[in-house]
Amino acid sequence: MKGCSMLLTALPLLAFAAAADASTVPLADVRIAADAGSIRRGAETVVTVCMNCHSLKYIKFRDLLDVGVKRDSLDLWKGDKDLNAALIGSTPAEVARQVYGVVPPDLSLITAAREEGGRYVYSLLTGFYTDDSGNTDNHVFPGITMPDILGYTFASNAKDRHEIENNAGDVAAFLVWAADPDAGVRKKIGIAVIIYLVILTVLLYFWKKRIWKGLDKGGSV
Amino acid sequence: MNNDQPIDDAAELDEGRRDFLEKGTTIFAAAGVAAACWPFIASMNPSRDIEAKAIATVDLSGLAAGKVETVEWQGKPVFVFHRTDEQIEDMHSSQTSLDPQADDKRVIKPEFLVVVGVCTHLGCIPNRNGAKGWLCPCHGSLYDNSGRVIRGPAPTNLAVPPYRYDGEKKIIIGKV
Amino acid sequence: MKKSLKGWIDARFPLSSFVKNELTDYPTPRNLNYWWNFGFLSGFVLVLQIVTGVFLAMHYKPAADEAFDSIQYIMREVNYGWLIRYIHSTGASAFFAVIFIHMARTLYYGSYRAPRELMWWSGQVLLIMLMATAFMGYLLPWGQMSYWGAQVITSLFGATPLIGEHIVIWLRGDFSVGDATLTRFFSLHYLFPFLICAVVVLHLVALHTVRSSNPSGITLHSRDNIPFHPYFTIKDFYGLGIFLIVFCAFVFFKPDFFIEADNNIPANPLKTPAHIVPEWYFLPFYAILRSIPDKLGGVVAMSMSIIIFAAMPFLDRCRVPGGACYRPLYRVMFYVFITDVLLLGYIGSQPPSATLTTVGEIATFFYFAIFALLPFTSYWENRLLLHREKLPAAALTLIREEKYIPVDQDDKKTDGERA
Repeated sequence: MKGCSMLLTALPLLAFAAAADASTVPLADVRIAADAGSIRRGAETVVTVCMNCHSLKYIKFRDLLDVGVKRDSLDLWKGDKDLNAALIGSTPAEVARQVYGVVPPDLSLITAAREEGGRYVYSLLTGFYTDDSGNTDNHVFPGITMPDILGYTFASNAKDRHEIENNAGDVAAFLVWAADPDAGVRKKIGIAVIIYLVILTVLLYFWKKRIWKGLDKGGSV
Repeated sequence: MNNDQPIDDAAELDEGRRDFLEKGTTIFAAAGVAAACWPFIASMNPSRDIEAKAIATVDLSGLAAGKVETVEWQGKPVFVFHRTDEQIEDMHSSQTSLDPQADDKRVIKPEFLVVVGVCTHLGCIPNRNGAKGWLCPCHGSLYDNSGRVIRGPAPTNLAVPPYRYDGEKKIIIGKV
Repeated sequence: MKKSLKGWIDARFPLSSFVKNELTDYPTPRNLNYWWNFGFLSGFVLVLQIVTGVFLAMHYKPAADEAFDSIQYIMREVNYGWLIRYIHSTGASAFFAVIFIHMARTLYYGSYRAPRELMWWSGQVLLIMLMATAFMGYLLPWGQMSYWGAQVITSLFGATPLIGEHIVIWLRGDFSVGDATLTRFFSLHYLFPFLICAVVVLHLVALHTVRSSNPSGITLHSRDNIPFHPYFTIKDFYGLGIFLIVFCAFVFFKPDFFIEADNNIPANPLKTPAHIVPEWYFLPFYAILRSIPDKLGGVVAMSMSIIIFAAMPFLDRCRVPGGACYRPLYRVMFYVFITDVLLLGYIGSQPPSATLTTVGEIATFFYFAIFALLPFTSYWENRLLLHREKLPAAALTLIREEKYIPVDQDDKKTDGERA
């Protein structure tokens, strides 16, 4: 009885999964790049600057070759550490805890651990400002003990600020890559899979139609 | 041509189309299923970090003549043996009968012998037998200074892993 | 050679006859619509989860100090590890989506009614086992949300009078969720899907005893049944194709949609996340739990909200066959119920606030009210509809005879042989 086939309402169940905590912190309106160049430049900043305090324990030195870091740069950065060694920061945890009050978090998953993590990192790095009493604080993370490592508060003109913003964007791009290094491969395979499935489903549709066409129109329903 | 012909042709055409749809879809689907199995099978292969560690580097500068250095490669011991001129000459001129192989086929440079230190009988690690070669403690297999089996029960010579020289004083063991 | 092999097996094992009677020739109502695809899809997702789960378990380390790292190892180092992991995490959500639609179909079309009660109840058991499996599985990544979700839900058992505290500690194997909890949850998470398979077999045996219902709710004449193969095999595969397109779109392009951001932070027993949220499929029940201010009351209400479905065959007193097809009042109640569940789901996802708590309490009340009203509304429907005689002849015949038409045992009879 075709008339009885009431359509169940298209249920936006998925809306609830997405109803996560809306960030109360305003994030910068910026798109984090995903190109190899940005990621490579970000790698350099992270390894030479951020790793003074932070670790990226799920990234190995050899993984950086995948983002286009040159072998001699890599050799310079890793020193006498093995190519398969993880990226561990220079400051021991206990020392950092004494100086900053907290252990600097590992950065491998930092952009995945927050909604819109890439924009969050960018906004944090460019969110430093000097408050009325002359102390450095941060719009995104008030009371932060991390120093203004990219020097945003010292930028005196627009050109310097722009350069630091680019740097912050590259750092964010690299960290987004670090949280999900296989994203590129995943999307490429995904396109092939979806195309394949669409073709297969269309074929199955015609086959189904053909089989059901043979059914006689007799019967009470 | 009689009147039946076009109808028969149409029915045959229909049959052909049906066959193509059924056969084609089945083959297409089967290909997809096979492709979908691959990631699972591949996931059981050694992971990226294990593949990366399948390379060992050996510094030869500290290795004196007549001495053997043992390094780990793919979880196994590898003997890197700095042979004396006498030993090289001895190996070059001698032949073995159990698994014949010329000495110069087993080395890149005759000064250094690189063999996997696992007895080809049942897998024990042979011990250095003075200056004469190796002796396996498990069942008494005997190997010469080229890693060739002289006395069994081992059936074949000690395996030579893939390796290459990186300059004069460094060897890289493993596929590169 | 092939023929004699088949014959050799058939002489010793009912393989051919089983396949013929239960699969290929199995009589199925010809008017099943696409909402009937979801049973097959549930089975498919079950197999998918088991396969991906087994392969994940080859690399996963079920220990508190290694679990989180082992998941990153799978994602980054294991060949196609990221793919297997994302299929498994997306598959859990897909499983619940498919099951909820399957349940909704059953409620809408009245497929829970006699003689299909055992199918309905075995399905309920399956739902509860699935929820347990999913809950235990969620602890395994040992992220912040994993840990704190487990901490909150295991502490609910403390509401049990007298022995509550002991039960909680016994469940956890420790005074708070810890390594002991993780290892036992891993063991049970691996076990439960196979128990689910066993109950699925029972569910299918019950199905094959009473045969599928159909959108009209009236048992059809045997001539209106068609063999399952090829009609419904191809229809199921076509439906599977559509399902896989949606599923793969998530797996390959938005896999983090179902992974809470907080779960990318390793579990910290000393720091609670700002906002503890269960996975979406638990949200309506979570909202009901939070609606009742009393701890024990909340737990009872939440349990009842799942268990009450079992009463459906008894609550529904309407003698009009089937579900919403011929019953406009039931149809309205169904849609109100669905809307209520969605509303509860939304409330469950938000942090508690004064307005939301009140709305949640009203929604919880409605949830149970709909069930409570059903005996009365179904009785009124009887009087309303039967009085107006707006039903098709077959439906009226059924009602007058007041017994369900048994399935024609010999479906091979031709029309001439039938009375």
